[in-house]
Amino acid sequence: MEILRIDGLTFTYPTRDTPAIADVNLRINRGEFVVLCGPSGCGKTTLLRHIKPSIVPHGKKTGVILLEGTPFDELPARDAAVKIGFVSQSAENQIVTDKVWHELAFGLESLGLPSEAIRLRVAEMASFFGIHTWFHKNVEELSGGQKQILVLASIMAMQPDVLVLDEPTAQLDPIAAGELLSTIAGIHRNLGVTVIMTEHRLEEAYPMASRAVVMDGGRVIADGEPRKVGLQLRDKKRGMFLAMPAPMRVWGGVEEFGINGAKDADCPITVQEGAAWLAEKVKATHGCLSTAPTHFIPNSKFRTPNSTALVLRDIWFRYEKNLPDVLKGTSFTAHYGEITAVLGGNGTGKTTALSVAAGIYKPQRGKVIADKKVYMLSQNPQALFIGKTVGEDINEMKGTPEEMLRVISLCKLDRLLDCHPYDLSGGEQQRAALAKLLLAKPEVLLLDEPTKGLDAEYKQIFAGILRELANAGAAIVLVSHDIEFCAEYADRCALFFDGAIIAHSDTRSFFGGNYFYTTNANRMARNVLPHAVTVNDIIRALGGDTR
Amino acid sequence: MVRDAFAFYHPIVNFLYFAAVIGCAMFFLHPILLGISFLCAACYALYLKGKKALFFGLVFMLPLLIITAAMNPLFNHQGATILSYLPNGNPVTLESVLYGFAAAGMLVTVIAWFMCFNAVITGEKMIYLFGRIAPVLSLVLSMSMRFVPRFAAQAKVIRNAQRGMGQKPGLVKTLSILVTWALENAIETADSMKARGYGLPGRTAFSIFSFNRRDGYALAYITLCAAVIFTGAATGALRFRYFPAIQVHEVTTSTYIFFGVYFALCAFPLILNMKEAFRWKYSASTA
Repeated sequence: MEILRIDGLTFTYPTRDTPAIADVNLRINRGEFVVLCGPSGCGKTTLLRHIKPSIVPHGKKTGVILLEGTPFDELPARDAAVKIGFVSQSAENQIVTDKVWHELAFGLESLGLPSEAIRLRVAEMASFFGIHTWFHKNVEELSGGQKQILVLASIMAMQPDVLVLDEPTAQLDPIAAGELLSTIAGIHRNLGVTVIMTEHRLEEAYPMASRAVVMDGGRVIADGEPRKVGLQLRDKKRGMFLAMPAPMRVWGGVEEFGINGAKDADCPITVQEGAAWLAEKVKATHGCLSTAPTHFIPNSKFRTPNSTALVLRDIWFRYEKNLPDVLKGTSFTAHYGEITAVLGGNGTGKTTALSVAAGIYKPQRGKVIADKKVYMLSQNPQALFIGKTVGEDINEMKGTPEEMLRVISLCKLDRLLDCHPYDLSGGEQQRAALAKLLLAKPEVLLLDEPTKGLDAEYKQIFAGILRELANAGAAIVLVSHDIEFCAEYADRCALFFDGAIIAHSDTRSFFGGNYFYTTNANRMARNVLPHAVTVNDIIRALGGDTR
Repeated sequence: MVRDAFAFYHPIVNFLYFAAVIGCAMFFLHPILLGISFLCAACYALYLKGKKALFFGLVFMLPLLIITAAMNPLFNHQGATILSYLPNGNPVTLESVLYGFAAAGMLVTVIAWFMCFNAVITGEKMIYLFGRIAPVLSLVLSMSMRFVPRFAAQAKVIRNAQRGMGQKPGLVKTLSILVTWALENAIETADSMKARGYGLPGRTAFSIFSFNRRDGYALAYITLCAAVIFTGAATGALRFRYFPAIQVHEVTTSTYIFFGVYFALCAFPLILNMKEAFRWKYSASTA
């Protein structure tokens, strides 16, 4: 049964000439799980905001959207509030009140429900989402993941028919993101709510969806069953295919199509399916598993280290006298010309370690030996913007005109100079902040979660910038949750746990040796190609096309 | 923190109770009533805050008591019973000495009650109580309680980001970045409020506090005690005159009843806590 229908929707923002979304037609049935994907700036957020009447952006609009046959313009305000729930990226910004219980009740208060009814619904939601153990807490005390669960629960308390989510996991670490996604899957499965979600963490979201819609340049370019859509992308547009789950990318890179080729239905999308398919494939082409083509895996990138840029020696640090130690004997070395990634779970002290290395905090014990001045890029680029436009903001650093031009082109900001920094997407903000920092000509550069909230294409661009800096001789250390990114682009990786670095080696042996903390490609190929870390490794080993 | 049985009552009960005892403490200068109120307030404060209250009492309240009591006879020369003369020729009277003690006692008692008030009426209860007056007020307070720590945290992030860039974090710059950040992010918060129906007519204010039968009993108890004491005050039975000469209303059986009721009011939280303690002891011994 059709619940939501979008007919010929075209929308243009007031100051733009080209429409942000053009001629979008979608029919969404009750109980569907639609994952909406596309590169940043393709109009997916604009489209989602049109599905929630109270937050539709201002601009020129044609076309209609109907909820159960009623056009949005005629929808009573109460129905618009209740029937469609909207969750955006930042949990922090969506939470209104200071107490968990009050936040859960907020929407119900707006609806004017009596206290007794609210009490019951709040209790229901708290139990369903496992909030009862932190029901009385202040919002400030919650972790990022708990905050986003709270946002979701406070919307579900209003019992919507359609749940619209705009990159809900963008600000979360992988564990919290996984929990949130499985909660969303649970809502879909158990409550039958129609879910429409944009997400750049497609590795996990894609297998959950019953339908995928891909947008580019404001138009829908593919729509249908997730497996089929993924393969259409392979043939049509390379950029978006990068965002697809690793097993699908491997399959797409290896399998031949055509008369004797593989069928779409065989395409694996989960790691489990991928591993099974790969085992079959290797067996078929090479007879048995033991002669698997390990020799196709390129040798590890390990080189003799360049000169040392930064040394942390036995650092002990805590924020206050009576608080527990955050860093417990952290030792670490970074070299010029290399990208070093520090991985690790949330709250293990990675950011603190960087801050100490950058001289923001003084360690209680141990020594930071820096060859040159150390610069650090905050994980919150908004903490740096002061100008009204990006150009003005970069000007603030007082670089020479040549240097400014150089960083602007390096960070690909040419077309963004007249925008307000807050109007940029997350990836663009990150680059603008980096440009500012680069004007200080850092040779030792620390980056805190630089890929947070970036999509696959932006990550590639960002990695290119980092590689260029490293080739020019800079020492780059990045702290990240993003295993796939680090596997692909870092020279060395270190694992941070319980206030110390517990493993530190070149990227390939780092991931090849881990069991749980590794890339999806490595998990999938573990049994046949233990040294394959990235998707391209597997494709190359099987003689496929890595492009 | 200790578990206080009284704090588990409905915020309205808590609030009216403190309004009654603090009101009485400020109104009555009768030494016996003052003594009762002070004793109960001090015990309750000690029960709630333990060592901290004792420290506060000895370091701040005791000197305050002594200074206030000593100051009064130096400046107030009313009263019939002259004890001696000051070097400037003004008399020191017995009445003004006693009045000084009474006034100082009142001050200290009220402070002690407010200490208890702070411990029992938490921010959450305060917001609820404001919400009874105007529902919007409780939301505004609740939102502000969220903003303040967020701003503080973001200010720190901004300062650290500046340091990471090799700059000194200046106050004006930090503030400027913070304000821009706050305004931009507030738009999203406003969207989130609208998306959840904020602005629809007939908004209610939900609270996790529910008014139970025992809250009703407690409220009745407090009202009854207050009514009796009010009668006592109205009939003049609780009058105590300091100037020009000490004059006490004739002490009758009813005066003792008033004293008893006043004690029953002031000691209410202590009685509740004792009852709770006995119940546990009793159930433990029978188990």
